[in-house]
Amino acid sequence: MIKFMLMVNKQGQTRLAKYFAEFLTLDERRALEGEVVRKCLSRTDKQCSFYEHRQYKIVYRRYASLFFMIGVDDDENELAVLEFIHCFVEVLDKHFGQVCELDIMNEPEMVHYILDEMLVNGQIVDTNKANILEPVQLLEQAAA
Amino acid sequence: MQSKLEKVVAGLKTGPRFLKELREFDNLVKAIGECKSKAEEDRVISQELELLKQRLSDPKLDKSRGKEYMIRLMYCEILGHDASFAYVKALQFASDPNIHTKKAAYLALIQFLDYNNNLVLLLVNTLLLDMKSDNYLIVCTALIAATRLIGADLVNAVYPVVVERLRHPKEHVRKKAVMALHWFGQLDPRREGPLAGVELDKHFRTMLCDKISEHRLPKSYDYHRFPAPFIQIKLLKIVAALGAGDRAASDNMATVLLQTLRRANTSHTIGSAIIYECVRTITTIYPNPQLLAAAAESIATFLRSSSHNLRYVGIDALAGITALNPAAAAEHQVAVLDCLEDPDDTLKLKTLELLYKMTKANNIQVIVDKMMGYLSSCTDEHIRRDIVRKVCDLAERYAPSAAWFVTTISEVFRLGGEHVDEADAHRLVRLIAEQDAALHGSAVEAYLALLDAEIAAAHAAAAANAGAAALPAGAPRKKLPETILLVICWVLGEYGHLARRPPLAVLSRLAGILTAHKAASDRLRGCLLTALAKLAAHTGGAAGPVGQALLPQPHGGAGAQGGEAADLVHKCLNSQCLDLQQRAQELTALLGCPGPVLAAALPVDASCEEFSAADLAEVAALPFLEPHVARALATGAAPYLPPEARGGRAADEGSKGLRFEAYEPAPYAIPLAAASTSYAATGGHDSRIGSVTAAAGAAPPAGAAATAASAGAAPSSSSSSIEPQLMVKGGTGARKWGPAQYETDYGAAAASGHGAGMSGAAAPAAAPASRGTHSRSNSAASFSAQAASERERLAASLFGGAAGGSGGGAAPSSRQAAAAPPAGHRPVNGSAAAAAAPPRQATPPPQPNPMDLLLDLDVPAPAPQQWSAGAAAAPSGTGRPPAASGGDWMDSLMGPPVGGPLPAATSPLGAMGPVGGGGGSLLGPGIPNGGGGGGGPVPMGGVYGIQSPPMQQQQPGGMGMGMGLGMGLGMGATGVSMGGMSPPMMPQQQTPMQALGLGTPMGAGMGMGQVGYGVAAPQQQPHPQAWQHPHPQQAVMAGGAAAPPQLHHHHHHQPQQQVGRPADPFGDLLG
Repeated sequence: MIKFMLMVNKQGQTRLAKYFAEFLTLDERRALEGEVVRKCLSRTDKQCSFYEHRQYKIVYRRYASLFFMIGVDDDENELAVLEFIHCFVEVLDKHFGQVCELDIMNEPEMVHYILDEMLVNGQIVDTNKANILEPVQLLEQAAA
Repeated sequence: MQSKLEKVVAGLKTGPRFLKELREFDNLVKAIGECKSKAEEDRVISQELELLKQRLSDPKLDKSRGKEYMIRLMYCEILGHDASFAYVKALQFASDPNIHTKKAAYLALIQFLDYNNNLVLLLVNTLLLDMKSDNYLIVCTALIAATRLIGADLVNAVYPVVVERLRHPKEHVRKKAVMALHWFGQLDPRREGPLAGVELDKHFRTMLCDKISEHRLPKSYDYHRFPAPFIQIKLLKIVAALGAGDRAASDNMATVLLQTLRRANTSHTIGSAIIYECVRTITTIYPNPQLLAAAAESIATFLRSSSHNLRYVGIDALAGITALNPAAAAEHQVAVLDCLEDPDDTLKLKTLELLYKMTKANNIQVIVDKMMGYLSSCTDEHIRRDIVRKVCDLAERYAPSAAWFVTTISEVFRLGGEHVDEADAHRLVRLIAEQDAALHGSAVEAYLALLDAEIAAAHAAAAANAGAAALPAGAPRKKLPETILLVICWVLGEYGHLARRPPLAVLSRLAGILTAHKAASDRLRGCLLTALAKLAAHTGGAAGPVGQALLPQPHGGAGAQGGEAADLVHKCLNSQCLDLQQRAQELTALLGCPGPVLAAALPVDASCEEFSAADLAEVAALPFLEPHVARALATGAAPYLPPEARGGRAADEGSKGLRFEAYEPAPYAIPLAAASTSYAATGGHDSRIGSVTAAAGAAPPAGAAATAASAGAAPSSSSSSIEPQLMVKGGTGARKWGPAQYETDYGAAAASGHGAGMSGAAAPAAAPASRGTHSRSNSAASFSAQAASERERLAASLFGGAAGGSGGGAAPSSRQAAAAPPAGHRPVNGSAAAAAAPPRQATPPPQPNPMDLLLDLDVPAPAPQQWSAGAAAAPSGTGRPPAASGGDWMDSLMGPPVGGPLPAATSPLGAMGPVGGGGGSLLGPGIPNGGGGGGGPVPMGGVYGIQSPPMQQQQPGGMGMGMGLGMGLGMGATGVSMGGMSPPMMPQQQTPMQALGLGTPMGAGMGMGQVGYGVAAPQQQPHPQAWQHPHPQQAVMAGGAAAPPQLHHHHHHQPQQQVGRPADPFGDLLG
């Protein structure tokens, strides 16, 4: 089960944090994120994209200046999670068109909405881009 | 863009102030983006929070900008600041008609609140309304919010509506509704969904097979040309769960799994992910040789890969396969070694985990060395704790010798003492106590060396502090944790007289502990006092050097050399802690006693004294108290009332209303008194049962002897102790726990090594021989390895047994060997591999039913092992450890890691007879109490282990029921022999349980039923809390050791001292 997802830039600044079926207080979150991010940033390209932290396994992937980290529990398939991150980025790319850190900062709610379509309650529920983007695009039209 | 432009235009229309507010969000994002440091970011957010407070409390709040406010609040919380002032506003915005505001408000609430928060109650109405909305986007949003915000107490409020949404025309809504139900199911697992009772296995199988693998889903579900890979992985997980332990289902899914495995390829990571999941599934379901072979093949490509990620999952998958087929790891030894030496921490850790799972008696030293190496360099607390746990676990299961165990565990204490379970310290102490003087001596030396270093470091630190207070003197050296200090105190007290240095030097080291640990706890001080007393008693009493140093001399002050020690004793004489005071008083009083009294009170090396059942019964009856009681009664004391009666009386009085007479003094000693009486009762009970079963077990030895004779190695042991097993140190077995398994390994190896027709009962006689073989083959292996490089040596030592290098007697698994039916039914992983053993193969050799054998392979039961003693009493003439193949029989009762009783129940396991079954099934984490857990020495005998149901639930995967009738060659008696005494730790694990062993020795031609039945109660443990021994008594025995204390005192204390002594390493000094 996927427990949380973090987007952090190279400087360690959090750009997005979302928790699934995991309920932590603000202080616990802050501590956890601090440790996870520190560990992640200290890793090199030569190391594998997984590491263990407390009871979580962290799977991360880097896109330009942005790190996507997903904390999973013990019986999640690490490789699949790694690919899920890529799938998510592909969807973001399709929505924003050449997604970059600034897009995510300017419209964090859209990122959340997209993620809500893909991940519910810590389970991957959809990876079909058309399905995912349909409600999001409808919402954008409603804005006009 | 369009909308923003319009907003700007609108802003221009309404004036400059509005325009400024409009840009607040952009400014915030810009400010956050430009932050260079965390402090700067915090400042920005604090300003933002102030601004938001102001805006949100403004009565003329601009509702159209709700969404923007929500997002700004989210930013604040993401960056670690509390925005709780705005939660109520977010609740209000959730009922806003504007869909953007509403969605943003829900999003913010999901981020801010969880289902325990009371504010959620205010949301339920809105949530229900939104779930019924016409706009499906709103329904989806509400359903998602429900998966996070609805707790168990609110489920019923929304449940009907959510269920109704399952019929919504829009698939997005249906999907969210299902996930909401998923969440509700997690909240309350008893809630049955519409799928309850449906034959799921077939359904999912078809789904995996037809729809997905065969590419029948629309193209849009493809991901890098793999058909719906994420669904495939999910389905594989489900299939694994359905197939685990279900043989029929597993057989049915074999074809589909194979197909899925073949279709996936490693051209893209997602393909590897599918293969990895397939392998995981294959190792979870009922083992299928064809699938396992295919899985092993796929793993090979992972391990050969240059990608760290693939190697990581390869190692993980290999660990899964190794659990079923220990030979698998040997094929990949190079890859495994590469990973072990890889600079990548994650990979290293994963490899250590694999090694942990493949540890056997023959490679434990190398593996533990590796783990210790990692431990010394690792700083992550969680990982350290995990490694410490694993090392302790392995050391207890496979330690090659007592000396090794002592050094290893002491090293673990030094490196990661803060994570060591106190129970491990108890085991260490116990083990040391059961060894001979040579080991005692070496333990003393080792600990003195530890103390030397500790005290030197303390002095250095003190000097550094004195020199320059401000200057931090390098990294502060880690102090020894208290647990190991307690062990050291006990060892030095008990065996300090064996040290090579003079007793006074030992004394000064002991006293030095306090110098190094200024803030030592009372408990440590108490142990220290006891150690001093023992040391003094063992080195000549009051007249000896230590005694002289400790006792205040008539001519002025304490002995010159006693210094700190005498100081400690002196301080404690007036300590506020009663325990310390008592110990100090006892120390001085005892040292004043004549030599014989002192020697009787503090005997040398008597921590393993044995108590026969008769002794215990006597203790239970407390006959020596009779005159004292009679005297007390004669002088008008109230007769003794058991605590229950007292409780009842108090309740009666309580119900009558107010009482005016004074209350009785609090019966402070009651709990202990009760414990000791019940202790005695169980003890008596048990010994009675013991004798009954011993009588019942009088027949089997004949069978055992017959078998042994047929094997040509007549053991004399079958005639050995038939006495009840309630003792710490048996006459025949050197060790009753932990590493004893090691010996039994050899016993079993001998059995299998000798090939056909040898029953486990013959093992003891053969064991020495096999040990000889072992050392010879080992030396042969090392000789051949001399030429090889360092790496190869490492490989040989890691995979030695499996690689056939040192086949000989190095039986990694006696379960294996013991389970091997004599006539060529050698188990697949027979890494025991005597010279005559068939060569090992990667795939299970075709056998009548290899899977049944596989099932019994070493399943490395992760955390919970068996606590073999104390669970059952058993009969058996052959019973004592030397005759049995020992603790592993217990293991053999443990089924595969999953699946509970299934293998025994549905497979012809028992009938095939490879399992044999073992002693009473036991539970609870702990160490296999090897010797104590002597099992039935019958390779093909049937043993039926029954456990009381609640225990079974407690350890679903852990127990198995071996059932069957032995047939064929070499039958022996069945014995379920249990160690009488379980180590004193974890009494809660040993809740009363019953184990029933029933065996049918067919060797004699007649079915001979033999029933062992035992009850063990926690109180049977000698002194469950050895260290926390409370001294509630107020009686200070100032009048000398012989002064008679109060009645209560006697009542509970006497038995404790006598019974507790064997296991109470830090036992008190009561006379």
